Formats: sequence, structure tokens, C-alpha cells
Amino acid sequence: MDTGGTFSDFVFFNEDSGEISITKVPSTPKEPFQAVLNGVRELLDRGVPAGDVSFFSHGTTVGTNALLEEKGAVTGLLVTEGFRGIYEVMEQSRGYGPVTYDLFFEKPRLLATPYTTEEVRERVDFQGNALTPVDPAQAAEAIRRLKAKGVESVAVCFLFSFLNLDHELAVKEVMAEEFPEASLSLSCEVLPQIREFYRMSTTVINAYIAPVMSRYLGLLETRLREMGVNTPQLYIMQSNGGVSTFRTSARIPVATVLSGPAGGVISSLGASGKVGIDNIITFDMGGTSCDVALIHQRRPVVTTQGRISQRPISLPMLDIHTVSAGGGTIARIDSVGALQVGPDSAGADPGPICYDRGGENATVTDANVILGVLDPDHFLGGRLTLDKGKAESLVEKRIAKPLGLSLHEAADGILRIINVKMEEAIKAVSSQRGYDIREFTLVAFGGAGPMHAGRLALDLGIPTLLVPLTPGVNSALGLLMSDVKHDHVRSKLAPMQELGPDDINVLFDQLRAQAREELSGEGFAEEDIVLTPYLDLRYAGQGYELTVPCPTPPLAPEDMELAQQRFHEVHEQAHGHKAESEPVELVSVRLVSEGRVPQTRLSPFTATGKSVDDARTGERRIFFGRDPGFQDTPIYDRDRLEPGHALAGPAVVEQMDTTTVIHPEQQARVDDYKNLIITAKG
Amino acid sequence: MAHPETHVDPAAADPITLQVIQARLAGIVQEMQNSLFRTGFSTIIRESQDASCAILTRDGEVAAQHVVLPLHMGAFPACAQGVLRNYPPEEIHEGDAYITNHPYLGGSPHAPDMCVMTPIFFEGVWVGFSSTMAHKSDIGGPVPGSCWSQAREVYQEGLQVPPVKYIDRYKTSKDIEEIIGCNSRTPELVVGDIRGQVGAARLGERRFAEMMAKYGRETVLACYDRLFQLTEERVRNEVSTWPDKSAEGERFLDSDGIDLDKPVRIRVRIDKKGDRLLFDFTGSADQTRGPANIRPSVVRAACSYCLTALTDPALPTNQGLARVVEVNCPEGSVLNPRFPAPVNTYNPTVHALVEALFEALSQLTPVKKIADGCASRSIIIGGRNEKTGRSYVQYEIFGGGSGARTGKDGVSGTNVNQSNARIAPIEIIESEFSTRLRRFELVRDSGGAGEFRGGLGFVREYEFLNPEGRFSLRSTKHVVAPKGVEGGGNGRTGKGILNPGSGDEREIPSRCSDVAVRRADVFRLETPGGGGLGEPLERDAEAVVRDVKNGYVSPDNALEVYGVAVEESGGGFVVDETRTAAVRRERAEAGNESR
Repeated sequence: MDTGGTFSDFVFFNEDSGEISITKVPSTPKEPFQAVLNGVRELLDRGVPAGDVSFFSHGTTVGTNALLEEKGAVTGLLVTEGFRGIYEVMEQSRGYGPVTYDLFFEKPRLLATPYTTEEVRERVDFQGNALTPVDPAQAAEAIRRLKAKGVESVAVCFLFSFLNLDHELAVKEVMAEEFPEASLSLSCEVLPQIREFYRMSTTVINAYIAPVMSRYLGLLETRLREMGVNTPQLYIMQSNGGVSTFRTSARIPVATVLSGPAGGVISSLGASGKVGIDNIITFDMGGTSCDVALIHQRRPVVTTQGRISQRPISLPMLDIHTVSAGGGTIARIDSVGALQVGPDSAGADPGPICYDRGGENATVTDANVILGVLDPDHFLGGRLTLDKGKAESLVEKRIAKPLGLSLHEAADGILRIINVKMEEAIKAVSSQRGYDIREFTLVAFGGAGPMHAGRLALDLGIPTLLVPLTPGVNSALGLLMSDVKHDHVRSKLAPMQELGPDDINVLFDQLRAQAREELSGEGFAEEDIVLTPYLDLRYAGQGYELTVPCPTPPLAPEDMELAQQRFHEVHEQAHGHKAESEPVELVSVRLVSEGRVPQTRLSPFTATGKSVDDARTGERRIFFGRDPGFQDTPIYDRDRLEPGHALAGPAVVEQMDTTTVIHPEQQARVDDYKNLIITAKG
Repeated sequence: MAHPETHVDPAAADPITLQVIQARLAGIVQEMQNSLFRTGFSTIIRESQDASCAILTRDGEVAAQHVVLPLHMGAFPACAQGVLRNYPPEEIHEGDAYITNHPYLGGSPHAPDMCVMTPIFFEGVWVGFSSTMAHKSDIGGPVPGSCWSQAREVYQEGLQVPPVKYIDRYKTSKDIEEIIGCNSRTPELVVGDIRGQVGAARLGERRFAEMMAKYGRETVLACYDRLFQLTEERVRNEVSTWPDKSAEGERFLDSDGIDLDKPVRIRVRIDKKGDRLLFDFTGSADQTRGPANIRPSVVRAACSYCLTALTDPALPTNQGLARVVEVNCPEGSVLNPRFPAPVNTYNPTVHALVEALFEALSQLTPVKKIADGCASRSIIIGGRNEKTGRSYVQYEIFGGGSGARTGKDGVSGTNVNQSNARIAPIEIIESEFSTRLRRFELVRDSGGAGEFRGGLGFVREYEFLNPEGRFSLRSTKHVVAPKGVEGGGNGRTGKGILNPGSGDEREIPSRCSDVAVRRADVFRLETPGGGGLGEPLERDAEAVVRDVKNGYVSPDNALEVYGVAVEESGGGFVVDETRTAAVRRERAEAGNESR
């Protein structure tokens, strides 16, 4: 189940029948676990015994919201003596773009204030040698001061703790003695990785939300058990696209805070994999924003440079690019008479003009209504009636007239501008990283995704577009398709030529032991554990490292050469050039550990033999731009489309939570899993 | 745009296409920038991100720029002018690349900033330039990092490269690469970075040509004119709402690096009439012997920066903005020096200039006031890596506190105005260079007092680990304090101290080069805080307590400067209301009498 802002989505998968059913229950923001229980209750009411539930996976925004609303714990921070400035100065820069010129800019508020920051006398050098050992008595004093100040959760981040864990572990012992009731986050456990501010930011965020998350998960687990759900494990979606147990998520909750869009990426991977597609770009467009991600050879691109409200989180997460472009995005004429679309949004309230809830600003949704793409009487399956007349008269007055355009040209213009912004986002994750966009399939979901994706595919030259069967609950569906996934990292900055394979093998041995222990503790048998090693490499002196797949450890001498060779190739792919004569440096070793969980096996549908005409519900005149202008467009009901059906554009396919547009230049067919596959004609 | 082969049909630029082209241009420069940051070899590009990218017209006007460093806005057109002067159109070919770092013959602010410019061709026709500018770790000259504070002419500021053809029809000039490499203390980094710049520029070429193929050459070129016009109108419309009058501003620099006890005056008078602004810099100091001079292209970029900040921070950055800026820089002054006057330490001058501009402009736009900030500084440590035997240059850029703003405190530990460099991670610095950090923290009481407090500066302490090395500082505001406004106090000045607390402790001036250092020597740098805004006695007492709690203001200062008595109680801090009221009343009366 996936908790959203307004609704929580449930997807039930029956392992025996292969049947998938969907429920939406209203979210309960005050007591978020209540919506989860309501959904489970609904399942049980359908006659499924609680004891028959074999797998439970949950996407939650509890940690994310605590962070966004700044409602986390009173957090204390322990730093190396003399180095309070790391957290307070942050990156020193203001970010780029308009904020560079903003005299009134602010840094994000400190989650651990200087008042609740204490210094510990200790120092480790760049090779991991202890220059000044921890003095337990001095550390105890610092901890007692934090306790006296009402701190609930403590983050510890010392310089070079990724090379020498002893000092943070020593503090852990003192904490157990002095302040055992506080939640504790050590940077060497959260993210043992070079670059102190990013490690510290990640650790502080973890400390800030840990008490909230562990309270939530504890409560939820108790209630679920009371209801009779007795699966061996309960799972939570993480930002890296894998799930993790309740227990691990309560310890490292920072790994869950950007998990919202991850489910959609994973279910797109599942849906496309079923039909043999390995390279996809996911396109999730909702009311205020659109999320784009790239999956190459079935591997989602991962980043370690994520951020949430300006605060860096450097744990590996799916690299999802977000732009402010959604159905509620506002179009207006600015002070010099130019048409601007976005970045601000009318949201759900007052929403677009056509919602008739007092919205005065033309939005992307209004443009879609005016053009005929959306049926005012069947929006959200008829739950909301749209006021087309109002949208027309306001767009005419505010946009079309001042620009000297016809109403429909103006509405089409709004779409063209918003589409270009989304196309730039798609390029940012694909061609900007050296991928050939023609080798990818665009997978469109979210309420507005399938409405816009057709145009984007045509403009960008993406040959195929896939609209999954249930585009409105894609994130929840992804929860049923994820394996347990943990990331392990240790930084060691050194030139490859100075390293022997054993220098690296030692680190991998540590990481593998750690990973096995963690997964077997979570109940995984040896045969269900998959460990994948990676190396973070860079050219000596270069800035950002690239993560490249590593041969299976233990490494032999020739593997060192092989890894460097791979790095040159990846570098060329990402940046367009390589420098084989330059020395390569190791920055970190990484291990991704996965525990295979029973997966939802989507099964193909069989056609009943009904003709495509039975799915046709009517016809509308839709404006497809100056050329070809208005077109009489047949309308189809998604629920009645069957495998093997083919549609020629122009056509519109309606379903409860979205509308798919097939442009005059395009055609569509329904595959065995009832995905809509849209391609260019001819 | 009056080229015979690029006939333009204005009707091609309909309002929708216009926005489409604008978004595409922004995407192209963004993509170039990502490529440059990710492939940069030197710390200065990859960690500090001191680099910019732009697309220009054939005439060298900026069509789109990715804003990292606002000053580069003025540098690109000047570099293009240099290229166009040296190479007539018939000598500009597909696959060429030009480079220059020359402050007079090109438009580089100083020699370490290397500009790479490649012509964009579409269907065999030259249609514009793709360009990148990035700071180099070292380009030769007497001191590591190439910014000698005692330079008296540009010949002492590193290798001077006029606008020359570095790549001819995809064939790289090995000669030029060798000459540049051989003149740098860090040849691999400099040549590696230049190649990365070429890569980013080529990417810009390709993306631009793709855009032209999609929308048509005429359409794109027609959009340019209209986009420039829109930016210009946007600024002029805002300016025309300001009152017609003249306003003046003035600031002083610590020194020019040679005459250490002589502050350098920057003066501006702005005449505002209708939608026009004339910036007149008459009254500014004569050109300096030391390297405090800046070129007029940099002056114009500074004016553009201030205008953008006060009109619309989201303004699309293009040539339209430059058209609003009318400037008079008297020849032979510090803002328009005669060749070959030195210019290497230009940034402190620009900070003083920007503050003088804001002082004058705030008289025209009284709702947005800002006190002076910390300006910017860099330290350069040169040495030889004992392990590899190679020489290295450790270069770091630091801010401090920003000035208080109308309704808001200043920001602590930040860059201000045209400076916007990231701080390099300590763990990277110590892994790559032979230094160790001993301290990095904010400086208590360094923010100027006021109803709104200035941001705090910070301290960094370095211990040198090599047997010997050389060290330079390019800072400012160690003598002239960041000014508070509307009754707010000044920010604390910065300070550079060698071996603090030891027998041979000595303060070093804000600009100094080539200080010899040995193993175990310690250098302590304190960066300035920002100025305050409004009367300190008017500051909310709770805000003062919060500052004391967080260690930003000492209890003594709270009482003496803010008139707030803070008491420690049960591990926390509270206001002594009665005493505070009495002290504040007394101070206010004393203040009235002295007035």
C-alpha cells in the first residue's frame, strides 16, 4: 500500500489466481497508520483471512513529511572538536540560477542547532590514523549537556570516520552508558563515505526523523499483528527502489524519504520487463510536478547527490528528475506580454478554472479541456464535472486575446510550452548523460502522464510509448515488485596503481560480511541473497566519481585492470570522452545486497474475442495544433480494450484516473498484459 | 544581426515558439554546464564550480547563459569581440576552437579565467558561438595560482593568451597546448580542464544545431531579437516605476596590494530618468599600481548583476539586459585602466563596486535595502607533493557573513553578491594536499549588530605539513569593515594571522603573495561578518536570547550592544525583562540627548 497526500492506494495480488485488485481509501494525515489499517480491514472484509497474507509492503511519507514540515525530534549533534563550521556553513554557495541573484535568500534551517551541538575531542587523519583518541570522560560530559538540553536524538559525525570507525563507535559506548534512551545515528553506520558535510547532513536528517519513524512503524506493526497479519517480515519502500524491513527502516529512515516516486519506477520496470523491453524512461505527471527517470538494460540510474528541500542526502537513490509541470501548472501573460507557463501551480485548491472552485488562473488542465482532450462530464470517472465554458472565456480573455491568437491556438500553445519543459527534463536524464533516446521506450503514468506523453515521444523521437494498465496506482504496484535492497559503502581515496587487489578485497570482505549478517537477520536464506560489487572511480584529481560494476571479489590482479577499463568506457558514455593515459583513483567500494522476495507475477490476459468497436464510447472534436487542426476523434473505454486490439490515431482512451491521447501521427495496440503500446504510423 | 546570409523574418517568432526556444536555450547551456562540472579535473572547477557556459550570437551577444558566476556575463561578449577582431568571418570554420585569457585583448577578468569559444555551424553556415569560461589552478607567473598581489603590470600575472585559434577544423594545435602546459605549475590540470571546456562547447554546438534543424534557422534567429527585447523591456518597465533622481554610492577597498595604507575609492553616481539609467563612475580612484584594477566589461557585468537582483532574479540572462546599462568609466581610473595595468585581484574591487551600486540604487528602490557583506577571498598554497614529486596548487574560496536585509538577518558562512563558490570538503583537501585543518567554525560577535543582525564570518586554521611551501591570500575587508545601514553596526573585519598564539605570531595584510611557510606553521584566517540593519536596541529581545543560546552573540555583547540582559537558568537562557527594559530605556534616552 502506498500513502499519498489525498488517497492511499492499495493493490492486492492473489498469488493463486494471479488476479490484481485495487482500492483507494482516504489518507489520514493525523494518524497515518489508520489509513493502512482501514485498507487492510477492507481486504479482510472481502473474506481473505489475515493469516493468508504472505507479503506486506508499504510506501510511506511519514519520514518525508516530518522533514518537510520540520516536525522531527529535538536533535543533537556531536562533531570533531573545532569543526562546528561544517554543518553551519554547509556548501557555502547559494545554488545556481535565480537564487544567485536573490538578495533575500536563506539557507535551510539547521535541524540540529548550534545550541544542541557539542564538540568531542578527537581527530583522525586522511589515512585513518588516530591523531587524538576519544577521551570517554570528555565525551560523556558533552553527552550529558545534550541530555540536559532536552535532546531526543543524537547524530555523530567525525572527520574521516569512514576510514576509522573506532571513534564514533567509542561514542556509541558512552551513549549506551550515559544516554541510552536517546535515538543514535552514527555517520559511519548511515553513510561511511568521503565528503564530510554530505555525510553529516545525511546523518543529521536520519537522527531528526528516526524517533518519528520508529514510533510509526512500531505502532503499525503492533496493530497489523493484532489484526492477524503474521508475515515473517513487513516491508517499507526505500529511495533506492528496493524495500527494507520495518526494523532496518526504523534504524536508517533517511533511506526512505525520497521513496515516493520510486515505486512508479520499479513497477514500470516490471511492466516493461514482462514484454521484453529493457531500456525505458519513466514519465510520471500529476497535478503539480512531473518525475522522470531512466532505466538502462533493466538497471535504474542511481545517484548519490539527492536533496530534499535544499538538504543533501547522499545515500544512493533512484535518480529521479523532477520539474514543476503538472495539470495544475499556471499559464499567464507576464508584465511584458510574454506567455509564461509555470513553475507555479494552482494545486488542487482552488485548482484549474474548470474545477469551478474559484480558480482564476488558466492551467494546463484547462487547456486540455478547451482542446477537447478531456471530457468535462467524465473527469475522474465522472466524480467531478468540469466547467468548460468558464475555462474558455477566461483563457480567451487572459491569454488568447492579449497574444492575438485564437482560443484553441492559445490552449495548444500552453501545452507546447509545458511539453518543452518536460522534454528538457527527459533529455536531462537521457541524452545529457550520453544515452541514445531512440533506444528507449517511454512509460507514461500518473493522472496527466498518458495525456502528454504522445506529443513528447513524437517531439523527442522516442519510438515507443507504453501506458501500463493501471497508470493511477503505479507506485503501489511497484511495492509488490521490489526486492529487499541495502547499500553498503566504504570510502578509500587512493590511486588504483598503488593498490593491490587485496587492499580492495579486505574492504569487500567487510562489506559482504555486514550485508550477509543483515539479510540473514531479516530471514533470507543464502540462496535468496544477491550481492553486487561496484567501485567508485575517477581520474586522479577529478571531481565526481562514477560508479562502475566490479568483477566478483576476491579480485585477481587482472581484475584491477578490467575495472579501470570499464571506468574509461563508462566515462566516455557519460561525458563523451575518456583519458586512458590518466591515472585512475579509487574513491569508494560499494556493495548492493539484495534479498529476493516472492514477486507479484503478472500474468497475461486472454482476449474474449470482442471487437475493438465494442470499446468505442463516442467521438469528440479535438484540436491537435494549427496543423492538422480539429480532428473528429473516436473515444475508447480502457476497461473494454482487449489484447490484440489496434487503434489508429487520432484516438483517445479514457479510464477512471487518466486519459491517453493517441495523436494523428500515431497508432496503438493492446498487448497481452493490456498495456497500450503506442508507436508512430507507417 | 544584419548578416546577408542570415535573413530574419520577425513573424517567425510567434509568442509560443518564443517560449519554446527560450526553454531549449536554457536546456542547452544547462547541459553544457553539467558536462563541464562533471569532467573538470581541477578542484576549482569540480568542487568550487568556478565556471560558466554561454551561447552567443555571431556578433558575440549573449543569447543564453547558465548563471553560476554573474560576472562572466560581461566577459563572454568581450572575448568574442577579441576573436572577431583577430579572425575575419572567412577564417572561421566548422570545428575551430578559440581560446583567450587576455584581460585587454579578450575579456577575461584576469589571466586564470580561460575562455574557450567554438563557432556553431548549421548546414554549413556559421550561426553563433558556443563558449565556456573556467578558472585555472595556475597559469604561471611569480606565484602559485598566478595572482601576485604585488604585480605592477599584466606581464607579471601569468601567461597572457590573446584570442588565438587553438583548434583548426577539429585539429588541435599541439604547439599551443604545449606552450600553455609548459607555463603552468599544474600542466595536467590546466590542459585537462581546457579539453573539458572544448568538450562542453562542442556539446553546445551539437545541441544548438539540433534545435535549428527542428525549428528552422530563421525562426531561432528571429526569436533572439525578440527575447533580448523582452528582457530589456522587463528591466525598463521596472526601472520606470522608480522616482526620477540622482543617487550616489561610495566604498573603499583595503588597498591595492602595494600601497598598503592607501584605501582605494570606488564612487558611482546614478542618474535615473524615465526608463533610463546612467552609471557614472567619475570620482573613483585613479588606476592603481597594484592589481586592484578592473576592466569596463566587468564593471558593466556588476551593474547588470545589481539590476537583476533588484528587478527580477529570474530574469532570462541575455544581451537585452546589457542594453539597459549605460556606463561612463573614466579612462585611466581603477575601473578603466590603461594597458598594461595589472588586474589579477579584481574580485574585491567588484565587491566594493557592487556595494556602492546597491547604496545608490537603494535610494531609488527604498523597499529593498541590504547592508554590506563579507565580499570574497581565496587562499592559495603551493608546494611539491612529497609522494609524487609533482607540484600542486591548493586553491580555496571563502565567503563569510552576508549583510542584514530589510526584515531579515544576514546569512552566516555564505558567499555574497557575485561570488558563489562551494567550499571544498576538508576530507578532500587533506587527502590531496599536504595541509591539515585545525579549526573551522563561525566567529562569535562577528555579525554587525542591528534590529536585523549581519551574518557571521568563520575561521579556518591550517597547519602546513610539507617541509616548505608558499602561501598567498587574496582577501579584503581586513581594514575597511562591512558597513551597516540605517543605524546597524558594521560587520567585524577579517584577519589573517601566521602562527597565532606563538612567539612569532604576525598578522598578514589582506593581499599578500608568496609568504614562505614551513612544516608546522599555522595560518589562521578569519572572514568578515556582514553589516547590521536598523538600531540594535530595536532588535527583538527573544532573537537576542536565541543568538546567545546558539553562540552567535556573547552575553556581554547582548547587554552592551543590544541592551538585552540574558540570564542563564537551568542550562538554558532567558531574558531578564526588568533589567532589559531599564537598560534599553536608558540607552534610548542617552541616544536622543546626544542627537
